[in-house]
Amino acid sequence: MREPIEHGVPVVIAGCGAITAVGRGLEPLRAALQKNLSGLRQSEKFSSPRFQSNIVGAAPRNFDEENPAWQLASAALQQAHESSPKVLESIPAERIGLVLSTTKANIEALERISDNRACSDSARRHLQSNLLAADLAAAHGARGPVQTISVACVSGLIAIQQGTRMIQRGEAEAVLVVGVDCLSEFVVAGFTALKALDPIGCRPFDAKRCGLSPGEAGAAIVLVRGDLMSQPAIAIRGFGSSNDANHLTGPSRDGSGLAQAIQAALAAAKLAPNEIDYVHAHGTATSYNDTMESLALHTVFGEACPPVSGSKGMLGHTLGAAGVVETICCVLAMQENFLPGTPRLSVAAEGTPARLVREPRTGVKLRNVLKLNTGFGGMNGALILSHE
Amino acid sequence: MQISTHELKSKVIESLKLQDITPEQIDDDAPLFGTGLGLDSIDALELVVLLEKDYGIVIKDIEEGRPAFRSVKTLAEFIAAKRPQ
Amino acid sequence: MNKIFIAAASIVTETDLPSARLGQRFGRLDLQSQLALLAVASLQIDFAKFPPDRLGICLVASAGSLTTDLNFWNGRSGVGGPSPTLFAYTLPSAAVGEIAIHFGLTGPDLCFVGDGTELITEAVDLIRSDKVDGCLCICGEVISTEVAKIISGPSAATACALFLTRAALSPDSRELREFDRDIKPLCALLCAAKSAS
Repeated sequence: MREPIEHGVPVVIAGCGAITAVGRGLEPLRAALQKNLSGLRQSEKFSSPRFQSNIVGAAPRNFDEENPAWQLASAALQQAHESSPKVLESIPAERIGLVLSTTKANIEALERISDNRACSDSARRHLQSNLLAADLAAAHGARGPVQTISVACVSGLIAIQQGTRMIQRGEAEAVLVVGVDCLSEFVVAGFTALKALDPIGCRPFDAKRCGLSPGEAGAAIVLVRGDLMSQPAIAIRGFGSSNDANHLTGPSRDGSGLAQAIQAALAAAKLAPNEIDYVHAHGTATSYNDTMESLALHTVFGEACPPVSGSKGMLGHTLGAAGVVETICCVLAMQENFLPGTPRLSVAAEGTPARLVREPRTGVKLRNVLKLNTGFGGMNGALILSHE
Repeated sequence: MQISTHELKSKVIESLKLQDITPEQIDDDAPLFGTGLGLDSIDALELVVLLEKDYGIVIKDIEEGRPAFRSVKTLAEFIAAKRPQ
Repeated sequence: MNKIFIAAASIVTETDLPSARLGQRFGRLDLQSQLALLAVASLQIDFAKFPPDRLGICLVASAGSLTTDLNFWNGRSGVGGPSPTLFAYTLPSAAVGEIAIHFGLTGPDLCFVGDGTELITEAVDLIRSDKVDGCLCICGEVISTEVAKIISGPSAATACALFLTRAALSPDSRELREFDRDIKPLCALLCAAKSAS
């Protein structure tokens, strides 16, 4: 029944693009990762008692511009296209798919409409993330299957998984995976209501951590069927996901759900725990998340946990874009042989993995890398990348 | 200033959207969280909004409110003590 | 190829909600989560027959969480700020989380925004690639009149659900066919057939 499902077809990353708090493009992101820089800054837009913190990871853009979700996603896709070798040009548009990962799409339009401010038709249309996905696909030469993923903060990893499956099932030969979420009063007011923001900016895995910092990003990855690439690339080796089935906003206290996702990813990748060279954590810097994540890593790796670090002190929590942009961080580290650090971490909290990486380290060959994200609704995701 | 626990219970029921329960069925001393009414961390945050909206009491840190959230009685006492006159 | 079976199908609307009581805090859930949870409960499946990590959930929300988004945002200027509870439901995947919590399902989940034409294909893929033994498919359509105006479409408050399994659960299980791709008409067809019999 239906298309034959091809298992084990290698799917590789042909190109990436990112607009983040540290700048436009991969160069500033690579530099920030290598120098442990933070892009978190005070923002006038959020300097009001209505918001718990004004420290955010803002992408280089004008807050007045309409349809920021479209702008960030389009720019990231454009970069990803340009950074990919010619392989995309050889694939017919009907064989190129697109998967959009977002939680709030162009939610800023809802603010405009509620306040009776000007709102263009396209900004309004892109309140609906599936229409944003359709328009991005049309504008960026993807006439194959299109999906819109919205699984809270795990969306990015699930979108990469979905793109991989589309190729493995033979529905596409390449898939553009794009993650986007924008800083908005909506989101910052929401996290304020949850009292989930660190007033002085997030400190992942730090003893004094007390909340996250919201961020924004557009990030894109071009996935291609491995045999179409003429040079070696980084492959999607395996993924796993699970649900805590515990609480809507709080992660399971013992990390068992995330551990289950990691074990599923290891099994899918046919790798043993000791073959993982580096873990890029979710690391939101909320008290519960980082403790839970440390416990999950201990469950899977015991005392032999590989080096761990997180990038939310650099980029903020970019929600639906997080999984995509943080996977790009892993790709850059694997390409340039370095271990990224954990910006804004000063004193590691008790119980965090012993090999938490504070400052970046060069000259470290990373063969297999584990990327984690978790989200509201109890969702856990784990993705493993490998050098082909 | 004393506040009516009956009125407070009605406000809690409405704000937390509790079903099939009347103010009369909530014991003044019964625990609100965990067992008892089965409230959780999101409800605690919703109670923080209720305190500010209806009683003008601003709680910046949820830990500060924790002892007050034990029961309807402790909550009423907390409001009576903190309420701006 | 191995067969896949439809164990049950359901459709619910807002009129089914007043009599529904699914858990102590059902009243707190947003409308989309209530309808999705009720649609799953209406399937009357004993999920305890399966290992919890071998059951998946695939949900599509036709208009994301826009109705709850607007409810949350409308509370922004009140004293005390907008509702933290509503913010927790400004994600279409909140409904997936509530279903997972209520029935204790810890397997992999997917949540889409759109018309849901990919839903059954993805659920079948989860079963065929041996990630799960059974998979819920749910389509939620919640569009308030206010949101309908904003997006220039009709309002709605309904959800439908299917439970797909690797093995037939009962003699009533029907084989999933080649052309069974679109969850909404499929649920409508199966529910109509059931009420006619």
